[in-house]
Amino acid sequence: MQKIPLLLAREGMTLARDVFRGNASTGMPICGKGHELTTSLIERFDKLEVQAVYVEGHPVWEEGGASLDNLLCALDGRFIKTMHNPQNAMLHTIYKAYLIKSMGGDCDRQAE
Amino acid sequence: MTDKRSKLKKIILDTKTLPTLPSVIHKLNSLSDNERSSVREMARIVSSDQVLSARILRLANSPSYGFHKVSTISNAMILLGVNVVKSLALSSSIFAIMEKESVGLWEHSLAVGVAANLIARKLGLQECEEIATAGLLHDIGKVIIALKCNEAEKSILNLVNERQMYCIEAEREIIDTDHAEIGGWLSKNWFLPDKLSEPIAFHHNVAQSVHHCLKTSVVHIADVIVKASGFGCSGDCFVPQIEDIAWNTLQLNEKMLAELVDEIEDKLIEVKNFSLEMMGD
Ligand SMILES: [Fe+2]
Ligand SMILES: [Fe+2]
Repeated sequence: MQKIPLLLAREGMTLARDVFRGNASTGMPICGKGHELTTSLIERFDKLEVQAVYVEGHPVWEEGGASLDNLLCALDGRFIKTMHNPQNAMLHTIYKAYLIKSMGGDCDRQAE
Repeated sequence: MTDKRSKLKKIILDTKTLPTLPSVIHKLNSLSDNERSSVREMARIVSSDQVLSARILRLANSPSYGFHKVSTISNAMILLGVNVVKSLALSSSIFAIMEKESVGLWEHSLAVGVAANLIARKLGLQECEEIATAGLLHDIGKVIIALKCNEAEKSILNLVNERQMYCIEAEREIIDTDHAEIGGWLSKNWFLPDKLSEPIAFHHNVAQSVHHCLKTSVVHIADVIVKASGFGCSGDCFVPQIEDIAWNTLQLNEKMLAELVDEIEDKLIEVKNFSLEMMGD
């Protein structure tokens, strides 16, 4: 599952979570999960000020298609100077877990 | 202060070329915070400046603040209060200077504003909007270096790449000062309150923040988290060391940090959206 800005939502993607008006997370959903996106549906979301949607899989690849490996490698690179500091090492571990969670489509779906 | 440094300070604070804040901001600052007459007067002053009004509303609805559906200035006054509108007026004016300069830095700043706001809320601190504003403005010194010391900026970037240094180290080597100190000079020049100028001047050395250590700590941690995330581009490739004083002042722990990362990452999607829309303008 991936959360993407509405600007990057495309026809054919499948909603992984209910969509609410104006990005609220409560109330009546305006579209249920499992729905396949269409151009007109995306336009409707836009009118209702939806900013982001959760979609199945990982259809949007930022920065020239970074894979999980690439992302983790970049993360290590950013922390290279400060891993000796316990709080920085902690933040590194947290980010590593976060990246694995956000990129692992299948295990993520089971968890929800 | 060394020769080089005082010369540079002169160049930077040369009012002929320094970006100035609209006079509206100074008028607003001279009004008292709570009197009813001030509120009405303020709404009048702000509304008289169409461009400023538009910017304030756009920023009020940006993810750094996240007040949804604020559509008029008087609405903003009622919903958000006078101080918040003052903050908004100030940051939107400064951002007008910044937007044109660098997309990466603008995204970094918006993200640090968002992160600072979320941290402040999570810790139940007062003046969350002020803290968000400090986050938005924390790297303003970098904008000024780019504007005023074009040649030096190039050398700084080269040094950062060649020797894999932090920006602040390269800045000290080339211009004998750094963006935080320059931000501090500028805040004095613009008569910004201490609660904004301290986080700007000391976000890379929290211990020096005497009166607003809490706010400075929040901005420092927000900057670190956003750099860890790799979002936007501050000019630094490396995550700074989390300063003990900031960690202890905020009484952070692993669980809180993990929750903050989740919340901040969730919100950064909106920042991306907001900045994509702005680029489309
Ligand atoms: Fe900085
Ligand atoms: Fe920064």
